[in-house]
Amino acid sequence: MAVFLQSLLSGVLIGGVYALIGIGLTLIFGVMRVINFAQGELVMIGMYCTFFLFKLAGIDPFLSVVLTMPALFVVGAVLQRSLINRVLDALPQNQILLTIGLGLVLSNTAMLVFTSDYRILSTTYSSSSVGLGSIRLSTPLLYSFLITGAITAALYWFLARTDTGHAIRATAQDRDAAQLMGVNVRHMGVLAFGLGSALAGAAGALIAPIYYIYPQVGGAFTLKAFVVVVLGGMGSIVGATLGGVLIGMIESLSALYIASGMKELCVYVIFLLVLLLKPSGLLGKSRT
Amino acid sequence: MILALLLAASVRIGIINSVTGPEAPIGETLSNGYKLALEDLKKAGIEVEVVSEDDTGKPQIALSALEKLVTRDNVTGIVGPYSSSSANPTVKAAEKNKVPILIPTAAKEELTRMNYKYVFRIASPANGLAAAGLDATLGLGPAKKLAVVYENTDFGTSTAKTAKEYAATHGLQLVADEAYSKGSPDYRSTLTQVKSADPDVVFMVSYVADAILLMRQARELALSPRAFIGGGAGFSQPQFVAERDISEGILASTHWTKDSGWPGAKEFAERYQKRFNVDPPYHSACAYESLRIMAECAAKSNNDRDKTRACLHEGKWDGIMGPVKFVDYDGFQNQNKHPVLVTQVQQGKVVTVYPKENAVAKPIYPFKWK
Repeated sequence: MAVFLQSLLSGVLIGGVYALIGIGLTLIFGVMRVINFAQGELVMIGMYCTFFLFKLAGIDPFLSVVLTMPALFVVGAVLQRSLINRVLDALPQNQILLTIGLGLVLSNTAMLVFTSDYRILSTTYSSSSVGLGSIRLSTPLLYSFLITGAITAALYWFLARTDTGHAIRATAQDRDAAQLMGVNVRHMGVLAFGLGSALAGAAGALIAPIYYIYPQVGGAFTLKAFVVVVLGGMGSIVGATLGGVLIGMIESLSALYIASGMKELCVYVIFLLVLLLKPSGLLGKSRT
Repeated sequence: MILALLLAASVRIGIINSVTGPEAPIGETLSNGYKLALEDLKKAGIEVEVVSEDDTGKPQIALSALEKLVTRDNVTGIVGPYSSSSANPTVKAAEKNKVPILIPTAAKEELTRMNYKYVFRIASPANGLAAAGLDATLGLGPAKKLAVVYENTDFGTSTAKTAKEYAATHGLQLVADEAYSKGSPDYRSTLTQVKSADPDVVFMVSYVADAILLMRQARELALSPRAFIGGGAGFSQPQFVAERDISEGILASTHWTKDSGWPGAKEFAERYQKRFNVDPPYHSACAYESLRIMAECAAKSNNDRDKTRACLHEGKWDGIMGPVKFVDYDGFQNQNKHPVLVTQVQQGKVVTVYPKENAVAKPIYPFKWK
């Protein structure tokens, strides 16, 4: 029982971070109908920012969230204005090519600048844990989860309670109708991409102390975020949150009960089953 | 005049290494070893003409590199490639072309088990790594239960396999056998499983980044066996050792250390450190000694491939890798019976603790988290 609970809780905690990357991706998709295949590379930039803030300025990785989020917001907004905006009305395959290309440019630039060496960020609490009966929770992972929760809650509040939040959701529901109601939809696109990138930056900052950092790290996260989003339902923020936690749990429990090397396989098998039985995802509405 | 020309012998040697691609960081440490070997050969009066080929970490490119070296560049002998997966097709082609090849580091056992006459290896095959680590640990205190944790790659699986075979023949009970796919941020489930089996000894095969993650998460979960042993690779590298909270007391098997007491090892390390500003890993020492031996044989046999092969087969050396002789044993052919060393991190430094004749410090046992 303790073994089961230990695995389950670890899975939920790591799932929180997956959810954060997924929420960014789903937000961008919801507002602009563009799947950002460079989301993982934005996470990678967030990780490097955090690493250097810690190494050069001694800023704690979890505190650096307040710096990496605005920085990545600006990066995202600039990318949207200069590149993504031009393909909003283009064919979906052209949009996909653009974001994949963007990801390649980002990761290869990072390789030129930072070299392909693995970097490890070590803090005083890197390998410490909190005891909870017979269960031990990783301190850095617990911090990540709490900050993820706070950011997600703030985002929900922003989207549900503020005028700008309403405008973003309106744009996501019906772009033309929102424009007719006087919403500046171009502006909302920049805002959504900026927010999505900021979330990727936050995820990068939260993953940096529990993982290792290298230029190609983004690819794995893009794929995971994509699965999280499709599982939860494209465009649904609650769905992405649920999808992230679910995938963390599946990984953890399948490593325990099936085999450590098989956990990815289990994730994708369950993913395929969900798509077969409910093609719009767990919380997605089917769109025409 | 003629005598002087004969003395300044000139030989043609091919080197296959991973200079670019994912293996490049380790490939570089081999390149550094080759550089120092060339300087020393020059001093000894052997002028070496090196033809270097980059396999970019890919077996098929290693293979075409070998064919180019043999046919177009007409080299006398070949040193390399670095990785087991690149070496695998290369040795077959070398045998077919009857050109001697000396493998510096690749550990896959089969490389010197295929009844080839032209294939030599200086480093110990994978089974030596596992056996030395477990021998050293069993010598320290009684152990009954063994857990094996390794990445599911060619190197990880083959090293872990030899550890499991060792357990079967030495009365150890295998209580956990966990192959993980590398690159995951979370190994806690795997380690929880291992912890619930309550092993006395945990044997791990991982590269440095995963080694750090695994040990961090093991500490979080308070997985506390009597000993952690790393089978080669990540567990004695500087980046791992620098993580003081998790590296202290970890045992690791390796092919070479600077304090092994082998002739010239210490001087080699000092020279390397001065030149490249970092401590040499075992790869550099293996590369250095391999090129030195190959060039020496090629010079003695006047660039004749068959005579070079005979020279490698019959020769005996005693340098920075300790005693080197290529012999047939336990189903291996032309395999150097290399004494594998076991190191331990003590007070943030890697020291040799096994075997006795090379040890500079007493091993700390049983293992305790800092």
